[in-house]
Amino acid sequence: MEFSHIFWTVLAWMIFWAVVGSFVTRRVYLHRDLDTSSAAFVGSMLGAATGPFGLAPLWMNTPEITRRLMVLPALGAVMVIAAAFAFADPSNNCVSNGSFVASQIVNGLILGIIYGFMALGLTLIFSILGVVSFAHGEFYMIGGMVTYFVTTVWFPGINPIVGILAACLVTFVLGALFERMFLTPMYEGKIERPVEYGILVTFGLAFTLQYFIQATVGANPVKAKRFVDFPRIRLPSVEDPWLIKTSRGNMELFDTVSISNPRFMAAVACVLVLLSLLYFLHRTWTGKALRAVSLDREAAAIAGINPDRMNMLAFALGGMIAALAGAMLVQAFSWLPQVGAIPAMRSFVIVVLGGLGSLPGAFLGGIIVGLVESAGTGCVPDAQKAASYIPAYGMMVLTLTLLLRPTGLFGRRFSGGAHGKL
Amino acid sequence: MTNLVVKDLNKRFGGLHVLKGVSFEVDGPELIGLIGPNGAGKTTLTNILDGAIKPNSGTVYLNGHRTDQLQPYEVARAGLGRTFQVTRSFRRMTVLENMFVPALALDRGHNRAEINQKALEVLEFLTIDHLRNEYAQALSGGQQKLLELGRLLMLDPEIVILDEPFAGVHPRLMEVIYRYIERVNGAGKAIILISHQMDSIFTLCRRLLVLNYGDLIADGVPDDVKRDPAVIEAYLGAEEGEPDAGQEGRVQP
Amino acid sequence: MSKQHTPQLAGLVLIAFFAIFPFVYSANDYPYIMHLLITGFFYAILASSWSMLAGYAGQFSFGHMGFTGIGAYTTALFIHYIYISPEATNLCTEYAIGDQFLIFVNPIGITSSTLTQDCLRQALEIWDGSVQVTAMPVWLGIALGTIMGGIFGLLIGLLVLPLRAAYLALFTLGFSEILRATISAELAITRGQAGIELPHLFENGLTLFGRTFDKTDKLPPYFVMFFLLLTCLGILAWLSKSKFGLFVRALREDQDAAAALGVNTTRYKVLVFVITSMMAAAAGAMMAHYIGIITPNNLMILQMSLVVAMAVIGGVENFVAAAIGAIIIEFTLELLRNSFEVGPFVVDMTIWRLVIFGILLMVTLRFSRNGIISPMIDYFFRGHVAKETVAKRATGTSP
Repeated sequence: MEFSHIFWTVLAWMIFWAVVGSFVTRRVYLHRDLDTSSAAFVGSMLGAATGPFGLAPLWMNTPEITRRLMVLPALGAVMVIAAAFAFADPSNNCVSNGSFVASQIVNGLILGIIYGFMALGLTLIFSILGVVSFAHGEFYMIGGMVTYFVTTVWFPGINPIVGILAACLVTFVLGALFERMFLTPMYEGKIERPVEYGILVTFGLAFTLQYFIQATVGANPVKAKRFVDFPRIRLPSVEDPWLIKTSRGNMELFDTVSISNPRFMAAVACVLVLLSLLYFLHRTWTGKALRAVSLDREAAAIAGINPDRMNMLAFALGGMIAALAGAMLVQAFSWLPQVGAIPAMRSFVIVVLGGLGSLPGAFLGGIIVGLVESAGTGCVPDAQKAASYIPAYGMMVLTLTLLLRPTGLFGRRFSGGAHGKL
Repeated sequence: MTNLVVKDLNKRFGGLHVLKGVSFEVDGPELIGLIGPNGAGKTTLTNILDGAIKPNSGTVYLNGHRTDQLQPYEVARAGLGRTFQVTRSFRRMTVLENMFVPALALDRGHNRAEINQKALEVLEFLTIDHLRNEYAQALSGGQQKLLELGRLLMLDPEIVILDEPFAGVHPRLMEVIYRYIERVNGAGKAIILISHQMDSIFTLCRRLLVLNYGDLIADGVPDDVKRDPAVIEAYLGAEEGEPDAGQEGRVQP
Repeated sequence: MSKQHTPQLAGLVLIAFFAIFPFVYSANDYPYIMHLLITGFFYAILASSWSMLAGYAGQFSFGHMGFTGIGAYTTALFIHYIYISPEATNLCTEYAIGDQFLIFVNPIGITSSTLTQDCLRQALEIWDGSVQVTAMPVWLGIALGTIMGGIFGLLIGLLVLPLRAAYLALFTLGFSEILRATISAELAITRGQAGIELPHLFENGLTLFGRTFDKTDKLPPYFVMFFLLLTCLGILAWLSKSKFGLFVRALREDQDAAAALGVNTTRYKVLVFVITSMMAAAAGAMMAHYIGIITPNNLMILQMSLVVAMAVIGGVENFVAAAIGAIIIEFTLELLRNSFEVGPFVVDMTIWRLVIFGILLMVTLRFSRNGIISPMIDYFFRGHVAKETVAKRATGTSP
């Protein structure tokens, strides 16, 4: 399918003004002695959305950068791209087919919730240990594998919750053991560059786990049985008065939006676990201690919290969260030892987008990445190309975030120590 | 002849006005003490002079060249050297390698043998020449401080800013630092000394600058500054206006 | 003979060994062993240049494999799409240069069931052998690949200037992944997963000292790769001894302090990216011509982990150690390939060796942060330092 030149022209125009906006706005704000931390972001987004017409008043008035000033131009930029796209390719499914769009958006949201949940584990680990765990995808993979073995191979017919709990237990223990064995020297100041050490040693763990599973399980894809048969929801009609029907297929909302059942269930479970996690973090002593350590290690230690214990807990918990996501999704996808690579990358994207160490940021970032991916897969004209580009969409988001606003959506500065400077 | 002209420097961090129109001039091999309570803006001033941060307004001229918009490395090559409040040696490089960095950074058609000779001479002067092949991280805190001073000597700047050189230093090393200051000053270089140790400041310096919340409230010979009511009010008042009581604390070289 | 000279001597012996080895060794598995060595040299170039980037300059980049890909794909695309012909085809995009024509073949992707889509082949058919079309020389492709690696290195170096530690690692990982996805997706040009075939290093054979080598002979590529390795090591050695090495290490230790001492940190940070990227790109281009095909899977994160692990196990802060580590590990990995049986269980060593390798990587990091080879070299170079310090203190110039 040939793509119209209009789209590329608009895109080039937007990129040009975005680049101009990011550089000049930063300069202008710096010169006027204002807060520059978000200037590049606002400048580029406004430039992309409005070109010189929005940038000129921005440079003249240099208003204080509020959240609204950040969100509106960003949305505007997205709208402009969408409009250009619609104009350039009016026959595209994304433009002409309303139910397709609705279904893409719902699916994007559902995927986003799952992505965000998984990234939550990564950000939890980072906010407390200052380690970007490169083994996050492997925890995800192991979670799925354990669930598969428990529910399908060893005890077929057992309640899937047992499988999920087993996955949690295994990964929690694994995470705790690894933290004790390999990450402890980081806290004692024995390592010159702890951030790099953390990356490399978790990298080693990822390598080991992946091939260990491949050696023991084999490289053939496995697939777990669906945990439950799902209700089918549709509007009652004359010939079919039942609102809910059980089927094994996709869930259909109002006969237009089709949702894969396992994904929907995984998303629901993720939200539930998220709520209990929030309860744990905000209402229990241990949870509060964890948050305290992430805010200020030394102060927490003085207040009688053992930061070492919290490190272990955080790493194990973070790994467990990834495993939980895997355990929920093993019924939806076929499972391979390498299955963790793409979700892990995606988690990196999400935590950077949301702001390393920020829990709400991880969730919002997950939803954004979910939407971007479903838009990318659904709308790019050449389906095969679109599929090959899937890993790249997230990475482009990552690259843009790091260039424009390295602190992410809800980034905060860490009090130094192992977290390293930005 | 060293000449540093600082004119009407202003720096704000968000709503905080850290430097409010600071102006002064350094002419010739002066030995100037820069004092002020915590948060007075001493470190910000140093960072602006060094090029690490840019002022919102105002100018800095070093030997006739404007330096306030230059990068730190350009300022360093133009002849302004500084130490950091917290010692920042290159920990996993040997002492000699530490000394070589500034010498080679100067781009002055260097000769390694000459640099080596000079480095050894400086290290000997600083009494750490026996450690020359050790990694800097193996040195004690005080020795690292000396190493940092030695590095600065290799840069051979016209004007030196020493940020808290005496903090946490053993008296015996203090003596070495005193000798160092005399040597650098004796070689015709200007020194700006930032310290909270009043006795050292009053013994060494022939001119004092007092910063208080971004204002340069006094600039003059120590005896005058001591009697300045604004200074006593802002700073020395807390020490009952008897700074020279610390005189006995001085270690004789 | 002082102890300090032992490593230099060992290095010379090693070089001599590798130079003589192909002429002395004559067992049945000769091509296999030679292949291993060539691959080992390739990884040695990557590991040593990565150690300059990560170990010396402190820039933990995960995009090194991406630069290999840039080198390989530049030369592949260049040779695949550009030809020189004495006659105009009147079908392709072409430019007259003197009396020759520079021909740009149109990209047809993997749907090449049809000769008719390829303008050059159509033209050849029309000419029916009357016109001889010349392919681009391999060496020019490799040179272009190297230059392209440098250009991308410059770009990435500039982009990552404000990023440190974890952010740098993630950014470079992102770069590498975008590159891989793009290559896989742009089927029409890159042929995606099918990969592009390249001519061998010496496609028409080579005659040297009266011996004729076939294009599949291992000896010429062996020496080409070996000399590339030596060249890279030579450049790295020169750099690390010169002020470049001193400055990048200084900026690894403390960027602000280095700048305050007159070091142009920006320049050296970008420069180290450019230089190491060029090495990776050159190695990638060379390797692609040796193997004869390049696919996007060569850029996978697994390849990157191999390079990282080799450098770390060898010793990331010493490029020679990293290179030796790479060659040793390449061989150990191959030797461990033999599966065996324990009772009823078949132990599939092709996978288990990688598990062992991963554990080795973690244990090395945990207990010997400078790797395994590097401390041995250090022992010879620095073993005397402590004694000297004590001796000097005893003579007593110091407090």
